[in-house]
This record gives sequence, structure tokens and C-alpha cells, in this order.
Amino acid sequence: MLTKLYGEFVAVNELSFAVQAGEVVGLVGPNGAGKTTTMRCLAGIIPPTRGTIRICGHDISVDPIPAKRLLAFFTDEPRLFDYLTVQQHLAFTARIYQVSDYGPIASVLLEELELADKKNALPGELSRGMKQKLAIACGLLHAPKVIYFDEPLTGLDPIGIRRMKDSILKRARDGAAIIISSHLLHVVEEICTHILILKNGRKIIDGTIEDITQKFSEQSGDANLEDVFFRATSDIEKGPPVND
Amino acid sequence: MVWALIYLQFHSFKNRTVVRVKRLKQPKYLFGAIVGLLYFYFYFYRWMFVAHGERSRAALATSPDKLALYESIGALVLFTIVLLAWIIPHQRAALAFTEAEVAFLFPAPISRRGLIHFKLLRSQTAILFTTLLLALATRRFGNHPWIRGAGWWLILSVLNLHFLGSSFARTMLLERGISNWKRRVGILSLVLLSAVGVVIWARRTLPAFNLMEIENLDGIQNYFQQVLVSGPVPYLLFPFRLAVRPFWALSVPSFLSAVPATLLILIAHYWWVIRSNVAFEEASVENAKRIAERVAAIRSGNWQGTKTNPKSKRAPFLLRSAGPPAVALLWKNLISAGQVFTLRLWIILASVTTGVCAIVWNSPGASTIVQIVGLVAAALIPWSLLIGPQFLRQDLRQDLLLADVLKMFPMRGWQIVLGEILAPAVILTGIHWFLLILSAGVFSQSGGAGFGISQSMGLCAGLGLAVMLPMLNLIVLQIPNAAVLVFPAWFQAGKEGPHGIEATGQRLIFVLGQLVVFVLALIPACVGGLCGFLVGQMALSTAGTLLLAELCAAVVLGIEAGMGFMLLGWLFERFDLSAELTS
Repeated sequence: MLTKLYGEFVAVNELSFAVQAGEVVGLVGPNGAGKTTTMRCLAGIIPPTRGTIRICGHDISVDPIPAKRLLAFFTDEPRLFDYLTVQQHLAFTARIYQVSDYGPIASVLLEELELADKKNALPGELSRGMKQKLAIACGLLHAPKVIYFDEPLTGLDPIGIRRMKDSILKRARDGAAIIISSHLLHVVEEICTHILILKNGRKIIDGTIEDITQKFSEQSGDANLEDVFFRATSDIEKGPPVND
Repeated sequence: MVWALIYLQFHSFKNRTVVRVKRLKQPKYLFGAIVGLLYFYFYFYRWMFVAHGERSRAALATSPDKLALYESIGALVLFTIVLLAWIIPHQRAALAFTEAEVAFLFPAPISRRGLIHFKLLRSQTAILFTTLLLALATRRFGNHPWIRGAGWWLILSVLNLHFLGSSFARTMLLERGISNWKRRVGILSLVLLSAVGVVIWARRTLPAFNLMEIENLDGIQNYFQQVLVSGPVPYLLFPFRLAVRPFWALSVPSFLSAVPATLLILIAHYWWVIRSNVAFEEASVENAKRIAERVAAIRSGNWQGTKTNPKSKRAPFLLRSAGPPAVALLWKNLISAGQVFTLRLWIILASVTTGVCAIVWNSPGASTIVQIVGLVAAALIPWSLLIGPQFLRQDLRQDLLLADVLKMFPMRGWQIVLGEILAPAVILTGIHWFLLILSAGVFSQSGGAGFGISQSMGLCAGLGLAVMLPMLNLIVLQIPNAAVLVFPAWFQAGKEGPHGIEATGQRLIFVLGQLVVFVLALIPACVGGLCGFLVGQMALSTAGTLLLAELCAAVVLGIEAGMGFMLLGWLFERFDLSAELTS
């Protein structure tokens, strides 16, 4: 049961869920629902006030190094070192994550993300989308088993969006457990297998998209994820029971 | 329309001031403000209003000849600044606007002239503040503070207008097909021609100048005084002398007689700027974007980001994927520091020093200079030990805003802190070893420089210091990094820019705190050194005893540094970004 307090303010309140390999969970909720705080706790960036987070069996608070080796977290704003080139970012990441013989993996990633001809460019010389791609290349270099995306499509052009969606699905097919935090409900509906809706730091809905939309449809006619979201977040009392 | 711009300027200034007064409710700003005020009181105010009188007046109680010399020197400095403004810049004219000003003012129905007026009006805030500081800083010249202030205001205003006018003129030249290099060659040719004229006149008129024959500074001063105050130079520098003359006025009548000419220059510059019809909007928009990026970079502690065109730097060594991950952080930060501390710089420094030393050593009667070089090198070691960490910031201070990225690395806290601090420690140690070799070499060559130090003793002392210095560097660098983790909110405030008395006070508190912690950290090492000394005295020679004492101190310092890393790692692991960085 994850809980995160900022002084008196409860950002995340007794949140509990599990993501299995190959699943893509959409973490959605209105502004201030606690999505980013949850993601940052899950990534080991901020310590939870109470509760345990296990990454492939490793408690991230007690045993952080093996847990973090299996993780990748992509923020909406790419976080890069201004003075390292694309190539240097990859060399640096390989050493940090101890990726032996990273060269061929890096080459494939650079080709896949269309960064091969930008090897010697600094982040300042890249467009926002390119920076995002570089952050992704660094994050995927160590083949993470658990991947978090915070608004992954921000700043990408239509081709980039398509590629990003394909990339997420490919990672899931390869056995990664993925959590995506996004306000773009149609994207969540398109690529996620599960959904977790938060409001005021509490879980209000958790389950597969099919199950949840079906339950809402049974109550009040055909419902898509957007309908589910509005009904669930506007009035919790009228929503279907939470699926634990 | 001008009133709208004045309104914007006035309320921006007022609101900024109100915000800064309001934030004094927070202890970190209040304490900073108190310390800053005390500092300014003791440094400036006391001298300005209390000691102003005989002492300060005596400073400038000089002959008309001296005054003419000072005026000429001032004019020469002004000329150099103006010359650089015509030679160095290569961009088109761009007025410094913020992104918000660009967004609001450029699409608004405001004429180009109106925008220039706004820019001039806004620059007056900075000019008045700089005037105040310079008037206080130059109080030792002794003339009346208001004359000094008005003199500085006139000089700075003329310079400000000249920079603007010259940027317009450069743009006009570019538009007429005269490239930057053509302009530079033309201007430098004129300057060279004038310089040749001055040299010819000096050779024909003045006695021959031979540096080796002049034994004291007075001889050099007299020669240059004659060059500056007689012959063609005063005529060449005439407009510049007029611009600086009010500043040197000793009395109100002499000030009033000097001011009209300077005002005329000011008005002429204003007319020049206003009449220039140069498109500056496009370049200004680019400039505003660049300024915003630089401000963001400075606020995040990334001074590399302030460079207009940062270049990718070659890695200092090949980073393999296997091995301690902390080395990756060292590698990264060395690349960051590589903008300044390049291998080329070290080679040049070593070559120049070796060359100069070789020449000096082989010169007859150069032992005094040799000793001075040795003493300066030795004195620079403790100085750089204390000051170095303020300049070498390629550590947690640089990466604090990327702390979330660091926190995700599969590394222990102490490994991250160690990796972060290693780069500045390596650079500082390189500097120290260089200075140590230099001073040791000089002292060994000059036979202990009269301090009664034998060669073996000097060698042992040098070796011991060479082992101690890396440990000391690790400790001095840990102190500001610990401050970042323990008082991140204070550190944040310190990075927001050099604004305000409270920021100065905060920096003073930090420097003082670092000094205290450093002295405390030295106590166990001194005890360790003393133990080594006592043990050595029983069995070893004096030189051996000294070496043993230093090695014992180094071991204690090493243990302290190790414990420091464990403590900082613990702090880093518990560093709650969400609570700290958003506060």
C-alpha cells in the first residue's frame, strides 16, 4: 500500500496494484491526482512515506541497485546532460548500467530512432523530438524489464507518435511491464491493456480496459474510455465497484 | 506610447523590489540581507561618509601633470573598450529584450524609435546601479562622491549609447557588403597607423626607452607619462578625454566646466542612435531566446549552457562499459570541465612555465625573481585550495537540477557523490601538483631560498604534500556539496543570480561556514600528523620525520574523506527531491 505525504498533504493514498510482464497499464487521472508522484516513487526518485515497491521481486527501498537495473523511466521532458554528445550519452549510460558490449545495441537503437547521423551532436543541437529519442535510446540500452512513461507523446510529430506507440507495444510483446501516465485517453485506450484511474491520490478504478468499459456499458449504454473516465472521476459513488 | 513603456519599466522595478522585500520573511533571505548589509556597511558606507575627508582627499591631492596622466589613462581605457566594440562583435544589431518584452512589444503598434527609447530607459536602471557601485569602489580617488557618481554616469551612458550606435553601424556596413573582417582590418589599420605615428614621435622626441636599463617603476611611469600627455596622443584621445574629464574633476567649478563637452558627446551619441534606421527586430528575437536559455542554464547551475555555441568535447579517456560506475560520473564531469581545462591548456601552461623558468635560471642575478616565483607558486596552493571549489563546480552543484536522473542510477548514494566530486578533485589536484613541482623545483635550484631547508627535507615535504593534497581537495569539495544536500533551498537561492544584498549575504555565510567546517576537519589530521611526528623523531631523520607526519595526516584526511562520502551518500539517498527542490 503506497502512501506519499508532503507534510500534511496526501499525494498518494494507500495505492496498491501489480503489473505483469507484457502488460501495458495506463495511469490516468485529473491534474493533481498523484500520477507523477506515483511514477517518481515507483522509479525510486522519491521515497514513499509508507509502503513497499517491488520491481521483479526487489524492494526498491531495501535493495535499490538490482531494482533500478531493471528500470527505465521516461519523463515528458527529456532529461539530458547538455555537454555530452549522443554517443557520449550512450557510453555513459552503458557504464552506469554495466551493459557489456553495448556498441551493437546502441547502433540498432540509433538506427531505429533515426539518430545514427547525430552521434556527435549535443542535446542543444537536437530538436525536442530528437532529444526525446535520445532519452529513449539511453533508457532502452540496458533492456529494462519495467518501463515507465510519463506523457510519452508530448512534443512528438505524427510520425514520432506512431513510432513511439509501436515501440511501446514491441517492448510489451518482448516481455516488459509498462506503465504509461497520460492525459491522452484515446492513446491509452489504443495501446494499454489495463487502466488505473487515480483521483486525489486514491485508486478509483483498476482493471483491463475491456472489463471496465463493459461494466460501464452495462450500467449506462455504450461507453468508451473517455466516458468511463468522466463518470468515474466526476462522481465516485455512481461508478462501478473498484476491481482489486 | 512612451508612457506605457515607462509604466512597464516602473512597475517591473517596483514589483521586483516588493517581491524581494516580501521574501525577507524567509529566514534564509533575512539572514542573508543582514549579513549583506553589514558587509556593505563596513566595506563602502563607512568610507564614503565617515572617512571622507583628509585621508581620502589626500589620495588625489596631485599635481595637474598627474591629473592629466590619470585623465589620459582613463581615456586610453575608454578608447580600448570602444575599439573592442568595433572589432570583436560579429552579429547584427540586436537590442536586449526579454522574451516577454518581445512577445508584447514587437507586435504592438510601437515604432522602432519607441523601442530604442524603451531600451535606453531600461538600461538606465543598470547604469545607475553600476554607477553607485563604481562610485563607491573608486572612493579612494578622493574627489566628491557626487562628482564621482555623475562622472561615472556620464561615462557609462556614453558607452551604452556607443555600443548601441556601433552595433547599428556594423549592421549597416554588413548590409552594404562590408564584411566583419573587412571592417576589422580597416579599423585595425587605422589604429596601427596611429600607433606607428606615436612611436615615431616618441623615438624622435623622447630619450630612448630600454626596459633593461630602467631600474624602478618611476622610470617607466615617467616615460609613459610623457607619451600620454604630450605629442600626438592627447589629440588622438581628445574625445575620450572629454568623456572622462568630469570624473577627474576635484571641485564643483572644474566639474561644471567639464560637463558641457561631455553632455555634447552624449547628445551626439543619442542623435546617432535615434537617427540610425537599422532593422534590429529579427536579431533581437533571437537574442531574447538566447538570453532566456542562458538565464535558465545559469539558474540550473549549468554554466556550460551559457556559451553561445557550446562545442562537443572529446572524452578525456575511453570509457569502457565494465568497471566502477562512479568512473562514468568522473568521465562525464571531465567532459563538462573540458570546455576550460583542456589538455592543450595544460601543455601550454607547462611549456610556458618551463621555458620561463629555464630563461630565468640561466640569467645572471635572477635569484630574487626565482625566489619570488617559488613563493608565489607555494602561496597559490593554499589559496587555490580554498578558492578552487568555488570555481570548479562540475559536481553535484552542477547536476542538482538533474538529481532525479542521478537518483535513478543503479548506484549507492556514496558512489554517486564520489563520482560527482572526483572530477573537480582531479583538476584541483593537477593544479596543486603543478604548483608544487614548480615551487619545489625553484627552491631546490635556489638552495632552499634562504629558509635553511635542505634538499632532502624539501623533497620529503613536497612528497608528503603531494599525498596530502588530493585528500584535502576531496574534503574541501565535499563541504559545498554537503551544503547543497543539507541546505538545498539556500543553494537554490544562491544560484538565482548575483542579485541583491541578501544574495551577497548568503554567499558570505556559505563561505564562512565552509571555512569553519574545513578548519574543524583539519584538527584530526593535525593530531595524526603530530603522532607521526613524535614517532618519527624517535627513529628517523628530520626529513623522514616530516614525511611520516605528513603521511599520517594524509591517512587521517583519507579516512575523513571516506567517512564524508559515506555521510554524503546517506544524505543523497534520503534527499527528497519533491520536498526540497519545489520549496
